[in-house]
Amino acid sequence: MLRIDRRSIQNFDWTLLALITALLAAGLVNLYSATGSNDGFSGEMRRQLMSLALGGALAFFFAVVDYRHFERFALPAFCVALSLIAITLIVAPLTRGSQSWLFGGRVQPAELAKVALVLTLARYFQRHPPGETTRLRDLLWPGAIVALPVGLIVAQRDMGVALLTLLIGATYLFLVRIPFRAWLGVAVLAVAALAALWTFALAPYQKERILAVVDPGRDPLASGYQVTQSRIAIGSGGLLGTGYRDGTQNQLRFLPTRHTDFAFSVLAEEWGFVGSCVTLGLYATLLVWGLVVARSSKDEFGALLAIGVVGCLFWPAVLNVAMVLGLAPVIGVPLPMFSYGGSALVVTMALLGLLMNVSMRRYVF
Amino acid sequence: MIGPDQRLGGGESLIHGRIPWIAAFILLVFAVFFARLFQLQVIQTDDLRLRSVRNSVRTLPIEAPRGDILDRDGRILATTRPAFGVQLIPNDVRHPETVLPVLAQLLDRDPDQLREEIGTPHGRLRFQPIRLAGDLSFDSLTRVESHLYALSGVVTDVRPRRHYVGGELASHVLGFIGEVSGSQLSSSRYADYRQGDVIGQAGVEQLEEEALRGLAGGRNQIVDVAGRVVGVIDEIAPVRGGSVQLTLDLDLQQAAEDAFLPDVLGERTRIGAAVALDVHTGDVLALVSKPSFDPNSFAGGIDAETWKQLTTDRWKPIQNRAISGQYPPGSTYKALVAAAGLADGVIDPERRIFCPGYTRVNGRTYRCWKRGGHGSVDLHKALVESCDVYFYEVGKELGVDRLAFFANGFNLGRLTGIRLPQEMPGLVPTRAWKERRFHEPWVPGETISASIGQGFNLTTPLQLAVAYGAIANGGTLMRPRLLLRVADSEGRLVDGPPPEVLGTVPVSREHLALVRSALEGVVNELHGTGARARVPGVRVAGKTGTAQVVGLKHTEGLDEDEIAFEHRDHAWFVGFAPANAPEIVVAAVVEHGGHGGSAAGPIVQKVLARYFEKRAVQQVPSQVAMRDFEVDLAAH
Repeated sequence: MLRIDRRSIQNFDWTLLALITALLAAGLVNLYSATGSNDGFSGEMRRQLMSLALGGALAFFFAVVDYRHFERFALPAFCVALSLIAITLIVAPLTRGSQSWLFGGRVQPAELAKVALVLTLARYFQRHPPGETTRLRDLLWPGAIVALPVGLIVAQRDMGVALLTLLIGATYLFLVRIPFRAWLGVAVLAVAALAALWTFALAPYQKERILAVVDPGRDPLASGYQVTQSRIAIGSGGLLGTGYRDGTQNQLRFLPTRHTDFAFSVLAEEWGFVGSCVTLGLYATLLVWGLVVARSSKDEFGALLAIGVVGCLFWPAVLNVAMVLGLAPVIGVPLPMFSYGGSALVVTMALLGLLMNVSMRRYVF
Repeated sequence: MIGPDQRLGGGESLIHGRIPWIAAFILLVFAVFFARLFQLQVIQTDDLRLRSVRNSVRTLPIEAPRGDILDRDGRILATTRPAFGVQLIPNDVRHPETVLPVLAQLLDRDPDQLREEIGTPHGRLRFQPIRLAGDLSFDSLTRVESHLYALSGVVTDVRPRRHYVGGELASHVLGFIGEVSGSQLSSSRYADYRQGDVIGQAGVEQLEEEALRGLAGGRNQIVDVAGRVVGVIDEIAPVRGGSVQLTLDLDLQQAAEDAFLPDVLGERTRIGAAVALDVHTGDVLALVSKPSFDPNSFAGGIDAETWKQLTTDRWKPIQNRAISGQYPPGSTYKALVAAAGLADGVIDPERRIFCPGYTRVNGRTYRCWKRGGHGSVDLHKALVESCDVYFYEVGKELGVDRLAFFANGFNLGRLTGIRLPQEMPGLVPTRAWKERRFHEPWVPGETISASIGQGFNLTTPLQLAVAYGAIANGGTLMRPRLLLRVADSEGRLVDGPPPEVLGTVPVSREHLALVRSALEGVVNELHGTGARARVPGVRVAGKTGTAQVVGLKHTEGLDEDEIAFEHRDHAWFVGFAPANAPEIVVAAVVEHGGHGGSAAGPIVQKVLARYFEKRAVQQVPSQVAMRDFEVDLAAH
């Protein structure tokens, strides 16, 4: 099982490694500024580096073991992930309005569920090719696979992660062959569901956050305050930025949750338009490279895995950057590889390992 | 479509087909992000950078020290001194349980009271300094400073604080300062002031606000989101205000103030006012109003209790009686009536009138103050002995309107125009005035009262000083001048009003000389009423006056001690010296002081005595200097 084919070393994807390394390095450098204490590394910085080490080990494991073996473990992993979320729901204390942490707040099972979800969906679509998924009712099973974790996460009141999980699952909809009028029906249903959600399910503070996107001046001290301060931080960066560790919005702490949700604002303030574009450019390149990997994969499972990994990176990045830029409501979605957060980093690196795995084995068989 | 190869099934080729679309979708989303970044970081960057600066830069105004107010010799009456304060920043206090008791001991405060004052601030309030002391003594400051190493979170600061060197001295001239009020802020005069600014609210502080205020500085500080100062960008130092030099003479002012002190320890300070003027320039050499107040109590913001006490006190300590206290002039008026009579020709110096101790007008009897009468009196004796009957007759012959013409001619009933707020014009009654005011005709008896300065007549001490100054200097009414020179903060002259003539009295120099000689008799002759104003070696002239507060029937036949204090007469004395070549005129009124000669005379006497004592001393050194100069010349 751990036998590594010589060809997979010859075909090692240096581009992918370079992209990942560059983004991880940028994320750490930026986090150092965002957690900015004047004397050495902050506690957050140390914990992030430890997570990086753990994530590196995990990535190595996910890259080295031939990905076709993972197919067998997809369902068990899915069940374990669901159980962990369920356990969290029972035993974990309510922190910051949600109930999503295990082991004294160190592990977020919903993050782990992403890997399991990608594996499970890849396994499903490998057995039921998307090309043959032509009717809405064909989506029943994959729908259920997505709905189970999403439902549990909603019960945890962690709306951001629930939405993310839903979107990651929805990534595979790009592949199915369902006619346009069916989607129209889905869209109508979705609008109705959203309306119902707005009326019955969303708490007033969540509605405020959504409204604050439309009009940031609306509630300057709550969510609108975050959006406004983020816009000020980004805008004051200008073309070339205020300089590393010199952004006043960051250093003087006007920017809220700057080392987690608004880490990108720190980058934009201190590195300016050029730095932001380079970073987002690297990000986009990584995502497109992931798709290239999917396209060059020698089997369907590998392609489906790669697409799943791209989805896992794309959706949080989109939600986070859109939020930071004031284009989307403030939902606590971290920016992969930039926001502080151990579980997210470890899981992201595991997924990237998986992507590397698929890439390395494109010529193996 | 579906190939034979398992691994390259139709599904996979479909996936292959869809991947470019997914890539396009991803790139489209990122394109939107790039556009948004361009909008924020390139197009709106100036605006947003400004808002970032506004977030983190706070301008802390630095109060300018107010300029000095000086006496005519350059001695400081009001200045600005540093006041040392102690502040505590709750967040920076590391061991409250040790810091607070130590601090309390150093500040001589009760620890519990201190703890209560600090409270338990939360959030950003933890970074806001709390002022625990505003004006520490130097001893306390050194004690706190030497313990600062153990007092985490405690900082000392220094601010300018107004200081009136003489305490209550000249408080009505200097005025006081206070926070600018809402209604003042909305007026154009205070357009460039902000809430919380301190401005002159009375006296010279108010009038010369513009010269004294200086230019506030500012410090641009960098603050973090909690409002904690983390750095200073730059600082513009404040500019001290210009100085205002007054015509007051500190020595004379002090003498006049002291003259109101009781003769016997424990008695209350006399109530009233005194004004000393230079007869040639109109310079106000001293201006006293009693009771007075200590403007220092306003300097750090007056506490409500003290303010209430000052404003509700029945003797009105804030009022400047010298310019706004209106009293019947009583017998001091006689000098003006005499001058009017001479000028109008109704009397001449030789004319004698018989005083039997009373006169009768329309069936009513008007008494002379001397029961038995003065017998046959001429002008000189009438003034020296203050014979009422003589002036009843002069007044009767002049008539009230003629009398008023001359009174107005001496600037009575009119503002003197001294540059102090709240001056009152007094009152000179005429027939027309009474008709207008009471819709009643003038009755002859009222002329009788008016001719000895009773009845409707009202004057301020300042007006009488100006009028007597004209008698003294040969007929020129000088506008009282309080401001000698105003200099800006670099010492450049900004304003230096020259002496100003108000007018000339409608009485000839010869007639005024006759009045002056009679007034010298008042002080120096055997039966004169003003003997208490004599100054050894100086020829003093003057006139006593007693202004009735209530009708005679309340006080008739009673000794002064038996009359209720507030029913006692006001006492006047107006004097000038030297009689042959007058330089200074002093008017004094003592409310409820009884007879003018005994209550007000000594006040004028003390001011004149100080004036001539000082002049004698000043002349000696100048002669010495002259001699030295000659020696110098000889040496060369």
